[in-house]
Amino acid sequence: MAAANPGIATRRRRPVARAVEGQELALIIVLAALWLILSISTDTFLTSSNLSNLLYSVAPIAIIGIGMTAVIVTGGIDVSVGSGAAVVMVVVAKAIRDSGLPLAPALALGLAVGLVLGVINGVLVAYGGIHPIIVTFGTLNLYRFLALRLFENKQVTGVPDTFSVLGGGKSGETLGVPNAWWLALVLAAVMWSYMRYWATGRHWYALGNDAAAARLAGIRVKSRTIAAYALTGLFVGLAGIVLIGSGGLVQQNAGTGLELRVIAAVVIGGTSILGGRGSVLGTLLGALLVGTVTSAITLLGWRSELTELFIGVFILVAVGVDLVRERRRRAR
Amino acid sequence: MTTDTTTAPPEPGPGLADRGRQSPIRRAIDLVLSERVPLLAVLLVLVVGWFFLLSNQGYLVAPYDSDYLFSALDSLVPLCLLAFAELVVIVSGRGGIDLSVGSIVSLCGMAFGFMVGLWNWPVLAALVVTVAVGAALGAINGLLVAYLGFPALIATLATFYAFGALALLSHNNAPISTKPIQDVHSLTRTVSLPLGDQVPDVPLQVLTFLLPVAVVVWLVVNRTAYGRKLYAIGTNDIAARFANIPVRRSRFLAYVASGALSGLAAVVIVAQFASARPDSGSVGNGMALPAITIAVLGGVAIVGGVGRVAGVILAGLLVVWLNAGILLAFEGSDGSQFQLFALGALLVLSALLNAYSLRRGRGAG
Amino acid sequence: MTTTHHEGHTARPASDTPVLRLTGVTKRYGGVQALRGVDFELMRGEVHAIVGENGAGKSTLIKIISGAEVADQGEIEIDGHGLASGSTTSALGAGIATVYQEPQLFGELTVAENVFIGRELRNRGIVDRAGQRERVLELLDRIGLHRDLADVRVADMPVAEQQLVSIAKALSQDPRILILDEPSAILTDREIETMFSAVRAMRDSGVAVIYISHRLDELAQITDRVTVLRDGSAVASRPTSELSVRDVAELMVGHAVDAGAVNRTVPDADPVLRVEGLTRVPKFADVSFTLRPGEIVAMYGLIGSGAADVARALFGIDPADEGQVIVGGRPVVLAAPADAVRNGISMLPANRKVQGVFGPKSIAFNISSGHLRLLSKWGLWVDRSRERTIATDFIRRISIKAPGPATAVDNLSGGNQQKVVLARQLVERPRILLLEEPTQGVDVGAKDEIHRIILELADGGGAVLVISSDLPEVQQLADRILVVRGGAITAEFARGSRQADLLAAAAGDDSDTETRSS
Repeated sequence: MAAANPGIATRRRRPVARAVEGQELALIIVLAALWLILSISTDTFLTSSNLSNLLYSVAPIAIIGIGMTAVIVTGGIDVSVGSGAAVVMVVVAKAIRDSGLPLAPALALGLAVGLVLGVINGVLVAYGGIHPIIVTFGTLNLYRFLALRLFENKQVTGVPDTFSVLGGGKSGETLGVPNAWWLALVLAAVMWSYMRYWATGRHWYALGNDAAAARLAGIRVKSRTIAAYALTGLFVGLAGIVLIGSGGLVQQNAGTGLELRVIAAVVIGGTSILGGRGSVLGTLLGALLVGTVTSAITLLGWRSELTELFIGVFILVAVGVDLVRERRRRAR
Repeated sequence: MTTDTTTAPPEPGPGLADRGRQSPIRRAIDLVLSERVPLLAVLLVLVVGWFFLLSNQGYLVAPYDSDYLFSALDSLVPLCLLAFAELVVIVSGRGGIDLSVGSIVSLCGMAFGFMVGLWNWPVLAALVVTVAVGAALGAINGLLVAYLGFPALIATLATFYAFGALALLSHNNAPISTKPIQDVHSLTRTVSLPLGDQVPDVPLQVLTFLLPVAVVVWLVVNRTAYGRKLYAIGTNDIAARFANIPVRRSRFLAYVASGALSGLAAVVIVAQFASARPDSGSVGNGMALPAITIAVLGGVAIVGGVGRVAGVILAGLLVVWLNAGILLAFEGSDGSQFQLFALGALLVLSALLNAYSLRRGRGAG
Repeated sequence: MTTTHHEGHTARPASDTPVLRLTGVTKRYGGVQALRGVDFELMRGEVHAIVGENGAGKSTLIKIISGAEVADQGEIEIDGHGLASGSTTSALGAGIATVYQEPQLFGELTVAENVFIGRELRNRGIVDRAGQRERVLELLDRIGLHRDLADVRVADMPVAEQQLVSIAKALSQDPRILILDEPSAILTDREIETMFSAVRAMRDSGVAVIYISHRLDELAQITDRVTVLRDGSAVASRPTSELSVRDVAELMVGHAVDAGAVNRTVPDADPVLRVEGLTRVPKFADVSFTLRPGEIVAMYGLIGSGAADVARALFGIDPADEGQVIVGGRPVVLAAPADAVRNGISMLPANRKVQGVFGPKSIAFNISSGHLRLLSKWGLWVDRSRERTIATDFIRRISIKAPGPATAVDNLSGGNQQKVVLARQLVERPRILLLEEPTQGVDVGAKDEIHRIILELADGGGAVLVISSDLPEVQQLADRILVVRGGAITAEFARGSRQADLLAAAAGDDSDTETRSS
């Protein structure tokens, strides 16, 4: 029937909804090349302890990044995640130290605190009519204030190793890979399929494309917006627990600057800051790239400040490539 | 953008004519709620009055008097310079924002440190070159945003990292605090005005940096053809193109101006610390955040095309004098913590108010 | 129209129960009464046209029916049951589907996803992709789109295809009432035919269709009944077969259409603008014409004909790829608006809100923004008193209804906003004025005034090129009319030509002739 129809568009076009898109493929190639070069040029890179360290240090960025991807896909942004992580860390660290809270309730506590902070952001964005960056700049300060009050002017010392199973030590590993990283992988897989196959997950994309049209299409814009920020809050809670890890010390400056690293990972992963496009797979790869560069610079004995320079350059290259591709697409 | 779900009617909202029928008190409240400058003026009087009262009752650890208020203006200077930078880029529209101002401050501060502290250049020449360096760094942002089409948030996030790293690398992560740099501290001394003994001493930098810059920025945005272009592209850059306004060049120049203002702020900060520190612009949460906060508090609309110099100055004064009061109201580091709270709460509340007055069909400035 | 008959007409099931009934619906936006007590009945299995001039209330009416706006007063009944006003969800639930003028699609989602967005076929929360795909293929067949498009991202499709996807989307909801808001505006003739057959098929299956259109020539082909809105009231509702185009036009305007009333002569002079072989792929090709001082030339074409693109090329917004433009005897390069302005070319864009006004800014700001060089001292300081004088002057001269030059343009009516944008084009008396749909969305009074301003400019020696899809406007203003179709000038008419001839030339007699593919 279709072939018989004198249709307007008879040219064949390749479907675009593939699992791995251009940017992700490029990132995989870049990562593979980097790992190959580093394995050859240093003795220490391809050791289990180094890789384990790398993956553990990247895990919090990846975990928050998974939520941030959803937020950015809706056309928003959340710069309060670093302060939020600090609140979670101080609350949970004190709870497990002072009340001896065991793993499960402590985990629930961390998630609950993160969720509340995320919901506050979401409600202000959805109902306040305020631009997300302004809302979360505001809550960045407010959450940092809250965290500092809870710290009571001293760092939290002697934190027990309740969360060592998610920590950076040997006890936090399965098959030589940190459990925190396994967690990030599982969460990414769940979110990836949610954002791809679940109706409410697809609605985030619609929302980021055109919020007004989304409302007309019967999408509950406000609740989807809140859901994205709430989810990010939940992941901030989880990341806070991973950062506490094997315990010891939680410092007052915990989480500062985390938001920019997370956003960098998301953007390098190919998610468009303008909303409507992106995937958590890219974010995972973006986080990995940031982590690899950090690790490489240490191992090569270069100046650690170069890390930041490279992150900046990577952001520009990733977004620049994306811009060129978009422009080409539009020019067809 | 995720919140704009209403399909606004094309017809004009309740017109100006409706205003005339309201009582004068209702109109005054309306004015304060919908116009940013009177609101800030009222808030400023309330805050300062409140702390004067607390001070007289002896609740504060030190007197909150006019001398104290004037000396607090020290911190107003760099803050306001950077808020002006944000004013210009945010007004230029299309998601305009500059996250890199803190890193430009660090890098320009180091440049100034090299010129004055290590190469013994005259301060004035070094100052001019530092501002030029800032403008050049801003031009990189402008190139990325205006000509290459990068979203401003992303471009300036990237340069925030890159410039910050260069600042740290420039002098092996060490500050420059040689004798000539320490001498620059004299730029921040206080001077007494020939207005009698009642008037307290004023920080010199207010007279040499803040006031002239405020006047220049005010003149540029309000009185020059460039200012018109800036507001035009920020309001509607497609219409600007049809009106034969050079959209890209005008936006580019906004980022250049932001860089130049950050360069000037760098000199002030080096003078205040008597040392060129490679992380001066990125300590804590960085300097971009407070600067953006003050701009938004001052009524600069994040969507572009709206914002006034007077609003930014009043917002700066409000934050600085509020912070000064908070410092006296709390012991130890509690004060600095409550400053964070005040900044965050003010930002969210003022943004809520902006949204409210926009919904009522009138601009925020 | 009485003569046209389509096979489909006889096949439709007759019915006398209205599926949708509106009684006394009113709506007010601020100071503007958009609807004043509209009664409307829609029968099962009919295609019912709603026509009216811009601002007559068509859009408001369909927004209220589709639940996007709340009516101030009045009843909406579906099959005799009341429908809550102002809820898109309950309107959708009652079987009302709307296809808006601008495709309301999500560029990053595929066609299949777009069709089902907001009401996905689900299997325990997971989107049933296979099920959706099956239904989408069926819909694509019905609407005449290729099956391959099901998984293509909408951003990768041309606008015309997107429009058909929106119709497929509406169809997928098995609507009982389908609202089409100017569906033909951006389609080519062949695409329109495809769309018509889809609409007929729906009607024959018992769907009631509300069809909004500006193209009166379409009404006989596709609609059974016409309701005419004027100034927010329904002034007539009759079977299409009883009405001629002229009848409809007269009902819309409220008085007899007096076309070609102006009688003017153009002084003999060398052309100020000569365009030769202008081409921009794929919008238009080999466009050649001349324009003399004091002359008003219209390019008449339906939306999408390419006429607007010629104007954009002449103003340097989307420059031409090939061809020559000679202004005042000298060949010029028009690569940017600055080039056009330097050569005395000025342009009034079609979309006032997007391309024309700086809404929150004052009238003075809006007028002066195009003339900052003229209005600044040493190219630096804006001469504010002169700016004010010019604005005040224009407010008086072209009777902009506003308290003063400081009034924000957003607070003006559409017609007065348009006058402000027009004033901006007139400040430096352009040699050549390009006007793109100069009276779109403007009330009748302002329309006459804008026409008067244009004629005055031409009488003073200005050369005017009007791009318009408004037939009476073209007829009234133009000394010569160039008909543009499929990106080429296909015919030329002199002042006083018949509307029917123009329309036939623009719409084309032979629908098989390839028009233009975007």
